[in-house]
Amino acid sequence: MYSEDKRLDKMKAFLMFGFVPLLAFAAVVVIPFAVGVYMTFTQTDGGAITSKFVGVVNYAQAFTDPLFWKSMGFTLEYVVWSLVLTNVVAFLLALLVTSGIKGQNFFRLGFFTPNLIGGIILGFVWQFMFSRVLVQIGSVLGIEPLSTTLLGDPDKAFWALLIVGVWQNSGYMMIIYIAGLQGIDKSVLEAASIDGAGAWRQLIGVRIPLMMSAFTISLFLTLQRSFMVYDTNLSLTQGGPFRSTELISMHVYNEAFKSFNYGVGQAKAIVLFAVVALIAIIQVSVMKRMEVES
Amino acid sequence: MRKWMLFMITLLLSAAITACGSGRNNESDTQPMGESASVTTGGKSNITILIGKPEIAKQFEQMAGEYSKMYKTNITLIPLGGQTAYEKLATLYASGNAPTIMMLGSELPSMKGKLLDLSNQPWVKHALPGTLDYAKDGDKVYGMPVNVEAFGMMYNKAVLDKAAGGSFDPSSIKTRDDLKKLFDQITASGESAFHFSPMDWSLGAHFTNMMFGTQSDDRSQRHQFLADLKAGKVKLADNPVFNGWLDTFDMLKEYNQFKKAPLAPVYDDGTLALANGKAGFWFMGNWAYPQLKEINPQGQYGFLPVPISDNAGDYGNTQISAGVPSYWTIDATKSTPQQQKAAKDFLNWMVSDPQGQDYYVNEFSFIPAYDNFTVKPDDLLSRTVMEYLASGKTLEAVGSYFPADGWPNMGATLQKYLFGIIDRAEVAKEFEAYWKNAK
Repeated sequence: MYSEDKRLDKMKAFLMFGFVPLLAFAAVVVIPFAVGVYMTFTQTDGGAITSKFVGVVNYAQAFTDPLFWKSMGFTLEYVVWSLVLTNVVAFLLALLVTSGIKGQNFFRLGFFTPNLIGGIILGFVWQFMFSRVLVQIGSVLGIEPLSTTLLGDPDKAFWALLIVGVWQNSGYMMIIYIAGLQGIDKSVLEAASIDGAGAWRQLIGVRIPLMMSAFTISLFLTLQRSFMVYDTNLSLTQGGPFRSTELISMHVYNEAFKSFNYGVGQAKAIVLFAVVALIAIIQVSVMKRMEVES
Repeated sequence: MRKWMLFMITLLLSAAITACGSGRNNESDTQPMGESASVTTGGKSNITILIGKPEIAKQFEQMAGEYSKMYKTNITLIPLGGQTAYEKLATLYASGNAPTIMMLGSELPSMKGKLLDLSNQPWVKHALPGTLDYAKDGDKVYGMPVNVEAFGMMYNKAVLDKAAGGSFDPSSIKTRDDLKKLFDQITASGESAFHFSPMDWSLGAHFTNMMFGTQSDDRSQRHQFLADLKAGKVKLADNPVFNGWLDTFDMLKEYNQFKKAPLAPVYDDGTLALANGKAGFWFMGNWAYPQLKEINPQGQYGFLPVPISDNAGDYGNTQISAGVPSYWTIDATKSTPQQQKAAKDFLNWMVSDPQGQDYYVNEFSFIPAYDNFTVKPDDLLSRTVMEYLASGKTLEAVGSYFPADGWPNMGATLQKYLFGIIDRAEVAKEFEAYWKNAK
């Protein structure tokens, strides 16, 4: 039971602490999102917010665009590969730099560095690698598949994108896994080794279950990041050749700003939001159930 | 405590309200809100220029700097990096920071409502015939032609001289077969005959021009062809020009320096190949000249038409494509009259003052779209283009009339064809399908 006075006080206290972040959150997330949803039901060229209502025409166009689904499929493929590879690599790296080898702090820093470089720069660095360095190496050593750039062929360009994505994100996920590995109670591991569990058994039976929350976070982050890749896509392939490597973010952007179909692009963005939100919610709720306490 | 808190909340709320207020987009509003403080500094007008040509950004900045020193105008450049003007402008207009001068291409027709009428400017009467068509609305002129750009078979004279054994005569190439023979000579001399740039804009906006521009030598017929294509009345597979054009495409594919991996090269590969004489020909336009000059200052380059048949008299076999790719425009909704005046003065200075003309011709390597230039380009490439212009041997750049997604779509189709995963029938089908659904 609160008296009127108390409730006012609570309100005040909340406003004191919560008003500024709430305002910021509203200004940069809630309001733009609401406006964005509103715009999908109007006919607009992006220049201004209009009130020319057209109903669900934009959504109808988005859903019937074969290129949109092609791009969505391409992105899903990218996400699956990137999810598996990034996390496998990151976990192995984390094991490596917590195993007590010489110079592990240096390695830790080295693996994390790609994350500190902006995606656009990274893309250009790798573009140079793929289309100049590797090509030179390939032609000097006479390795046929390497002697032409990976970026000129739709199938190979997919792998190029993936390599860069994995390289960029593994270091960051590695940090999370390191935290998970180091957070495990030593006594549990000692008990396991007294019971006769080898290193492998310990990893599978004790360490991984105990650090499930690190996997939850990492998978969620990788999922979200891979779905939203734009910068490396832009600087590596620009969606080419022949729009075959257009990840979904780029597809949405091009629809809105290159083809001037602002409403349709916005509708696609909302669809994308729904898809990513759904997948992420499922992933997190499933993995939450797998977490155990020691 | 309570007073302090109330004060804070009021402050924040008012801040929020004013922040939302200044971003308001009011069409009838001529007073810029977001930048009212920066219209003038120390008695100088401040103008911003949205400039789209990255290849001249460096030189343009130099010119703007000199102009600022001489006149009471501060110029700030907003360069476009790989975006279209439309993308950038959507953001700038929404934030109330519209540039004073904008370089616009295909955005121009849709922007007319926001632009200043420039009909009374001195350069209007000097503009070459036809160059103002695209920027006109009735008798009002909304844009000043940036330059004339020509594209076609650019060649490195040294390579061709060596291949032809003596001095190469450009007038000897009138048909596809003539070009093929020349290609064979170049190959025999040990260089690649041709560098084919696979960028979608080059294929979709420029290479397609030989197909659209040569449908007829009568402008209304050409535009009728576009209209028919949109109406779904054209069978491209039965169109002789389309087939001849693809025959030429096939030949170029055959002699391509990067035949093994046709989609691998980037723009710079073409510049390097032509400037260093590794390739005799490159399908590109005169905008590439500043870089070519940078790589190889001694290089001499010329232009040949892209022949689309074996009959020397066919329209297009002796013409190169030329047009005005973009226009300088002045914003009328957000800039002050003072800024607008400063912008007009600057643009006029650039095409009338000897110093401006010097930059225009010698630093930007622009082909003047005006007849009053006392400064004339002295390089072979620009001279070649001027000759084509003077003798009227030019194809209209039909690309200006494509919808916004025209060149990316057709470019993608041609990339597939270049890569060899679709055949001729599918090219025709994809083109027809695109135009049928085009806006």
